[in-house]
Amino acid sequence: MIHRLTLLAAFLLAPLPVPAEALCARDALERDVCLPEPASRIVTLSPGATELLFSAGAGERVVGAGAWSDYPPEAEQLPRIGDSSRLDLEAILALQPDLMVAWVDGNSRQQVERLEQLGIKAFWLAPREFEDIPRALEHLSVLAGTSEVAELAAESFRAGIRELQDRYQSAEPIRVFYQIWDQPLMTINRDELIGKAIELCGGVNVFGHLPRLVPRISTEAVLEAAPQVIVTSGREQNDRAWLADWQTYPSLPAVAAGNLFLEPPDLLARPTVRMLEGVSHLCQTLETARGRL
Amino acid sequence: MAGSSIARPLVALVLLGILAVTLAIAVGSAQVGVGRVLWVFAGGGSELDRTLILDLRLPRVLSAFAVGGLLAVAGALMQVLLRNPLADPYVLGLSGGAAVGALLAMLAGMAGLVVSGSAFAGAMLATLLVFGLAHGSGSWTPSRLLLTGVVVAAGWGALITLILAMTPAARLPGMLYWLMGDLSHSGQPRPGLLVLLLVCLLVLPLGRSLNVLARGSMQAAALGVSVRPLEWLVYLLASVLTATAVTMAGAVGFVGLVVPHMLRLLLGNDQRLILPACALAGGILLVLADTLARVVIAPEQLPVGVITALLGVPTFLYLLYRSR
Repeated sequence: MIHRLTLLAAFLLAPLPVPAEALCARDALERDVCLPEPASRIVTLSPGATELLFSAGAGERVVGAGAWSDYPPEAEQLPRIGDSSRLDLEAILALQPDLMVAWVDGNSRQQVERLEQLGIKAFWLAPREFEDIPRALEHLSVLAGTSEVAELAAESFRAGIRELQDRYQSAEPIRVFYQIWDQPLMTINRDELIGKAIELCGGVNVFGHLPRLVPRISTEAVLEAAPQVIVTSGREQNDRAWLADWQTYPSLPAVAAGNLFLEPPDLLARPTVRMLEGVSHLCQTLETARGRL
Repeated sequence: MAGSSIARPLVALVLLGILAVTLAIAVGSAQVGVGRVLWVFAGGGSELDRTLILDLRLPRVLSAFAVGGLLAVAGALMQVLLRNPLADPYVLGLSGGAAVGALLAMLAGMAGLVVSGSAFAGAMLATLLVFGLAHGSGSWTPSRLLLTGVVVAAGWGALITLILAMTPAARLPGMLYWLMGDLSHSGQPRPGLLVLLLVCLLVLPLGRSLNVLARGSMQAAALGVSVRPLEWLVYLLASVLTATAVTMAGAVGFVGLVVPHMLRLLLGNDQRLILPACALAGGILLVLADTLARVVIAPEQLPVGVITALLGVPTFLYLLYRSR
């Protein structure tokens, strides 16, 4: 925003020459990514990045997207540039993008660096806090020249999170086990965004203290942690098989209270503005769970 | 060889086995003291303790014992059959076939029994494939069997890589854990223990013939052993053992290679002793390795294959170094 105003001012005061690199935004690797003019051909290297650009009002500038980019529906029509962990470098080059949006946890650093050597700018995302989502929207909109739309989206996301914070900050603590996979049994710690969502809703993640972001744990550890509610997204839509497996332990407080819940997939798993919807849904779920204790 | 010199090491191994199983049941990520464990076996204990010990730990420990025993006996049989010290249960591509079956099932979004079932089917397919190809026409030798198996195994390896490359990232951890060998979803230990027991009872009377066979097929034939049927029987039994183990726990490495060698160095090379000793020592090793896998970074878990390889590699290197 500020950069754009400076640009405008510079333009009005001294029409020529335009500063060579006028649009700059700082990415998650703390690098200043600068473009001489708003990006018009953007390639997104992960489904989350695709969603963020559409939310930032730059959807029509996206010319290629990583596999599994299925939201918003328009994104499904975009040319594919490979799976996020194995990019198709030729396909990306052929699209002649002026900006790629990469994701620290999914894309290969080497592949993206190779493309940078070939002259394509990269903007890295590494969402670790809720605030990282609106901030990414703002930064991306600077590079795409769509600040107004992005500003609105960012503000409404922030307001939504604040509202949930206010509503649940004094909620009764409830012990939560969030299962993200079953074989091996995996959960998330408190640094993961889902872990932060649990805390925001007044939940206590029973494995929040573990050092790794996505710890692999044993059934035994879950039984000992005695969660009062078990939440998962399942393998796919409406897959209750994982929850049914826990029914074999009727002494588990979550099972005894009937607190086994399926959350809509994608909403929490992807760090995008839809996460607000996911967090809100999770908070309601935990509220339902409290009522059953 | 006198009866007592066979019995003594086996009795020692049985005692060690009981010790290992007790230890494994007593420790885990949940802190249950020995007293409470004994109380559970006496029929008491809280509901949580009972679930932990009887529903989770006991089946898993027994599964680990079964898988270790199955693999060690299979390895010993393969080494006799191929007359090659580097032979292990997987050398002929059996685990590769099982892995392709299991991974395809996982790729299709299946879990549990379907994955185990297709792993077993894959292992049996691999066995028949190698059998058919090596049988072929013309003369048959262990080295022909070995070469056929190794090449087929390489083919399975390529298919595994292909499947991994096509799999969405979220499904990879499950597959990698399967490939490394993991006991956390081994299910019921009974079938494994039963197969182990049956095969042991079946091979023990063959011990003498196997001893002769280990020296070479010419000598065995000269001494009146019908070599060809014996070799195919050994191949079939080793395959059934390995397929059962792989179905229960994925491709747990090194047990089948290292345990027979360790025992031969300690006890000599009499198959009548080595085979039952393998069943016990393999079981003990895997029970201990799995206990480590459960508690090293508890409550986080490691796949047991990592531990067996970490223990197996230096042990094997040491044995090789010493035997020079």
